Amino acid sequence: MILLEPHNYIIQTTLAEKFTKPSSLDVQFVDFDGVRFHLSTPERKSALLLSMHIRCWDELVRYGAQEVLQREYGPLVQAQPEPEYNVSLVIDLDTAPPEGEERDNFVKSIALLKRNALAAPFELAFTKQKELESAGDGQGELTAIHYRDEEAIYIRAAHDRVTVIFSTVFREETDRIFGKVFLQEFVDARRLPTIQNAPQVLYTNRDPPLEIRHVPGLRDSEDIGYVTFVLFPRHFNNPTVAAGTISHIELFRDYLHYHIKCSKAYMQSRMRHRVAEFQKVLNRAKTEAATSTERKTVTGRTLHTR
Amino acid sequence: MSLLSPIICDNGTGYSKVGFAGNSDPSFVFPTAIATRGPASQPSRSGPAVPSKPGHLASKRGVEDLDFFIGDEALANAKTPGYGVSYPIRHGQIDNWDYMERYWEQTIFKYLRAEPEDHYFLLVRDQHCSTGLPDNLSVQTEPPLNPPENREQTAEIFFESFNIQGLYIAVQAVLALAASWSSNRVVDRTLTGTVIDSGDGVTHVIPCAEGYVIGSSIKHIPIAGRDLSQFVLNLMRERGEMVNVPPEDQLKIAGKVKENYTYVCQDIVKEFRKYDAEPYKYFERYDGEHSVTGRKYSVDVGYERFLAPEIFFNPEIYSSDFLTPLPEIVDGVIQGSPIDVRRGLYKNIVLSGGSTMFQHFGQRLKRDLKQIVDRRLEASAVSSGSVQKSSGVDVDVISHKRQRYAVWFGGSLLASLPEFYSSCHTKAQYDEVGPSIVRRYQIFGTAT
Repeated sequence: MILLEPHNYIIQTTLAEKFTKPSSLDVQFVDFDGVRFHLSTPERKSALLLSMHIRCWDELVRYGAQEVLQREYGPLVQAQPEPEYNVSLVIDLDTAPPEGEERDNFVKSIALLKRNALAAPFELAFTKQKELESAGDGQGELTAIHYRDEEAIYIRAAHDRVTVIFSTVFREETDRIFGKVFLQEFVDARRLPTIQNAPQVLYTNRDPPLEIRHVPGLRDSEDIGYVTFVLFPRHFNNPTVAAGTISHIELFRDYLHYHIKCSKAYMQSRMRHRVAEFQKVLNRAKTEAATSTERKTVTGRTLHTR
Repeated sequence: MSLLSPIICDNGTGYSKVGFAGNSDPSFVFPTAIATRGPASQPSRSGPAVPSKPGHLASKRGVEDLDFFIGDEALANAKTPGYGVSYPIRHGQIDNWDYMERYWEQTIFKYLRAEPEDHYFLLVRDQHCSTGLPDNLSVQTEPPLNPPENREQTAEIFFESFNIQGLYIAVQAVLALAASWSSNRVVDRTLTGTVIDSGDGVTHVIPCAEGYVIGSSIKHIPIAGRDLSQFVLNLMRERGEMVNVPPEDQLKIAGKVKENYTYVCQDIVKEFRKYDAEPYKYFERYDGEHSVTGRKYSVDVGYERFLAPEIFFNPEIYSSDFLTPLPEIVDGVIQGSPIDVRRGLYKNIVLSGGSTMFQHFGQRLKRDLKQIVDRRLEASAVSSGSVQKSSGVDVDVISHKRQRYAVWFGGSLLASLPEFYSSCHTKAQYDEVGPSIVRRYQIFGTAT
């Protein structure tokens, strides 16, 4: 596996299992960015209740998350979510599609719950861009999604592009350095001929990019960085491409962190290998123990070294 | 932000159990296997791949650090050219740290989909080497199993690579004891007891006093799940049931029979008589299908239904090397422990692992053990000339619903207690003290 997938594995495997064999269930689990899930069967074995808590829900609702979820899941969405959670779906195993590809797709779409909720502001920005494009000029409103405690995504539509800005905070010194190298590399990588069509990426450390400089409450410290993606209409004109773009962009932060951790592990394995090699050299360099010849005094007694 | 639930990771030799605290079952159980690029046979002959020329161009970078699979996917990719499968844990000890680190990476990010920086972790470690004494003084019956350096390395990986918030390394046997608190027969939450842990490869009998393992009296029994399957296979072959079954499926079917039809009887002779009198009532039929040709076959399941688990109690019917029955071993283990904890050990015998799940297993063990104990008490009463008489010793074996993943469940239970967070080693403490912090071990959660 090289890329992280947008859907949640636990939802996928649990649902697939419950379809074949319904049984009562009560599990809680998480997803990236502090999302909490609760999957349970409160009434009967064949009706699963899946609830999600996401910390930026209020912002998402403002940007149309309800509509997106309604579109994706229709009647499954509950009007009154479970207490402590933001959104609840009821999946009735009896009325679900028959076994086969259709069911797999259904399960997969449920596993994408978090992705779909977060997709709302992006979709909004894409439609806004269309409007502005026909108008010929102008800029959309700056949407901010505070999806983590210290980090946020800013999205702004313009007449010819959609700009997505991530603020990233690294709690750890080493991670920060890795992150910096990575993100700079990211900017460089675009020069490769094979990925010329990729969105343009800009990276700034400490200073926020001009687009969001006026936003109040931005932190000014060494450990903060800003990654800017510039999406052109070709990245979201076609609906499938747009969906792919959204999935990838949403996972950007998690993927970055995953990759940093992977490369740390990779470096450590190189270091372990090197240490083992050096140890071999050192072991070879050991002087052979001097073979002790028995020494005797004149009278014939042996000498013992203590 | 409210705290996200801690992650419980039990990496065993064969299977890893991972999930979130507060749940009753692990979210994932998959083989501890990893498929990486390059042959598995000689993992580090030339070390990990090195980019040919160091440069600053992104074009020179590969994706070696991301290119691997774990768990079921690893086994599925075993045949893919270019990949080799390896098992990073051997005999309960981490053998290859490079692979293990990568294995954890994908467990956390791909399967659990958690950001490790937001979570506390509870890891499970083998029971050996966990006496309350400092580790270098602990008495061990086993050769060097799981030295503290391994724990330190684990802590290094978790704190430095993953930047986790806090870590608690728990002992298998203690978690199995904690899991038994879910049984309604347990009244006080104690961490004193004897754990019988039987998985696929080996069965351990571990005495535990107030959360500390009495390392000097641990015993291992070379009879476990794999032997049971083999024994069922032998019996069925002898009876000629297996002639219709394709050879490659035979062991699998023996395993299925073992899981679905077997139980522990109270008296073999009676049981044989019962079966002979009314074979149609007791014999079961197992239907299978050849995986390639699709040909149907069926086998009769007979005496092996009660004979298979019997090898714990009468090992001579299976092997000629190992002849001590399980109740005797348990009694020996408890007698080998300090005298002041023996009562507690007899009173709280806890089962854990898949091979202890047979029906009536607990009752039979309890009965046999009680007999041994009573006989000894009688003998000592006689030898004292009937002057002193013991008030009797309570023997109790506790079976519960969560036996199969008892260790994981115990972890889930402990990690959802509020004391868990204060018993964890936090990142700040780690930064202050260094890896040696995990040599300290704190018990929590008991009622006392």
